[in-house]
Amino acid sequence: MAFIKKIRTASRPDDQRDGARDHDGLILKLDSADATTRRWAARDLAGDPRASAALLVRLQCESEVSVREVILTSLMRIADPAAIAGLVACLRSEDASLRNEAIEAMKALPADVGPIMRDLLIDPDPDVRIFAINVLESLRHPDVESWLLDVIDRDPLVNVCGTAVDLLTEVGTAASHDGLERLKVRFAAEPYIQFAAALALKRIAPA
Amino acid sequence: MTQTATISADDFLKFQEFFYRKTGIRFEDTKRYFVDKRLIERIGQSGTRNFREYFSLLRFEADGTELQALVNLMTVNETYFFREDYQFDCLVKSILPEIVARKKDKAPIRIWALPSSSGEEAYTIAMCLIERWPGIRDHDVEIISSDIDTGILAQAKAGLYSARSVAHVPEAYMRKYFTKKAAGFQIDDDLRNAVEFTRVNLQDPADVRPYRHFDVIFCRNLLIYFDDLSRKQAAETFYDALCPGGFILLGHSESMSRISSLFQIRKFADAIVYQRAGVERS
Amino acid sequence: MKRILIVDDAATVRMYHRAILESAGYAVDEAVNGIEALEKALQFTYDLYLVDVNMPKMDGYAFLRELRQHEDLPQAPAVMISTEAELVDRTKAYEAGANFYILKPTRPDSLTGHVRVLLGEPQP
Repeated sequence: MAFIKKIRTASRPDDQRDGARDHDGLILKLDSADATTRRWAARDLAGDPRASAALLVRLQCESEVSVREVILTSLMRIADPAAIAGLVACLRSEDASLRNEAIEAMKALPADVGPIMRDLLIDPDPDVRIFAINVLESLRHPDVESWLLDVIDRDPLVNVCGTAVDLLTEVGTAASHDGLERLKVRFAAEPYIQFAAALALKRIAPA
Repeated sequence: MTQTATISADDFLKFQEFFYRKTGIRFEDTKRYFVDKRLIERIGQSGTRNFREYFSLLRFEADGTELQALVNLMTVNETYFFREDYQFDCLVKSILPEIVARKKDKAPIRIWALPSSSGEEAYTIAMCLIERWPGIRDHDVEIISSDIDTGILAQAKAGLYSARSVAHVPEAYMRKYFTKKAAGFQIDDDLRNAVEFTRVNLQDPADVRPYRHFDVIFCRNLLIYFDDLSRKQAAETFYDALCPGGFILLGHSESMSRISSLFQIRKFADAIVYQRAGVERS
Repeated sequence: MKRILIVDDAATVRMYHRAILESAGYAVDEAVNGIEALEKALQFTYDLYLVDVNMPKMDGYAFLRELRQHEDLPQAPAVMISTEAELVDRTKAYEAGANFYILKPTRPDSLTGHVRVLLGEPQP
């Protein structure tokens, strides 16, 4: 017969865990020279609400993507005001990967981030406004549609409005009808806006 | 009597885009009947009155349970021997040879298959290794298969199967590894002893911590039922469960594109699989 | 019929570009991010890639870099589509492996014109 062996799944000797795995010990391990150590420390801090600040600091300088991803998951689990504020700050980063990772992390935020989203939607930086709309894609907040309607009525930039209309094709209701018609008039010369607004109008429940 | 909901062409497109974004599965027009029937069923079950209300629930529900119920209904859950067997071909023809070629020690090759469900997948792997992989003569292999449900694990350990479950087992393997009993087809002891079944909750960090140093992980048709954050977390768990250079295989209609950026894509003759990078920067 | 892969996380943008390109006589496939795009590119042969910049999990730059260094993938031309107008971003696009860079929102004639040029086809 075949050489398939069944061996107990005990940890191998090199898995012995050294050092304390309490809050302070784990925070220290976030700066270990070894990526695996940093990753496990970040993972074990997922349940620790006091860890947001340290995780965010590490996120800014962490070059190993596997560690960054676990830091983000932990921040998403903690989701306290400090974690959320830190993720929002990442939206302004020069680092495109970090920005995109932050957008994704924010998509998992609880619905009570309403006031934060409203501010981001009127941020002076148009890219931040677009990223905020990207976050709304998964946000389960009852005001998402009305925020998007404000954007298409007021935002001067075609790409910000375009991003908002894309989301309205999914979440728009009869309440969006007039706003979408006004948008078509405002950007009459933009084929993409005409296409997207027409699609959203078609998808909306009959007015 | 309440009217049955109907699904318009636009409703279908809205659902199609949403489901594609969430799961990567795209239902084409040819699947209208399949999809409409199930949407109508969920509309009824969820207490909503029409597609518009149902979609709003789907989109805005805080804990995502309706989406999970919908995914369950839209995907085929059946398990049987040699399901999606092109992946086992890939294991034997491409993955194991590559693992063996770079192997520098005598430690066993470790394979983790989850969810075990009633064991079909793990026993299929064992059969394929014995019957189709010449390297089994020279290398030890450890197969561990896990599930959260102790009841189904007991079934897996017992190894008794229905005719439906063994329908895709080659005739020669049936003769060699199964005995026909009154209650079904019984897997022989040699094969039963080739797999270790363990209880694991993938979402519990304490449970998964000892699962390390795997060369191959099969996680087929499980992550599709998780929410976005749990899926991401599971992928990160698998990253640490794998050796550098280790491989992970997802279900036929699943993709890391909806889950995690941590893995490299590898195309082999029989399948596309994912790989943890071989060398890690510190 | 030539086949184009549209890589963009926005469903409406994919639909819009699909409508334009199908009208112009091309077959079209879609991907929502760089990972899905690579998976499709490994399974099907594309004559051109239309690539958005900002996408989750693997953005347009990362996709192009992977594409250009992958031995198994046919090296079709890639058009990068983005909102960024600064020169530094065009440079980044070309360095990643884009053949051309155009701004959003696109216009049908402009898009099909550039696609035809990159595919070596005559303008009508």
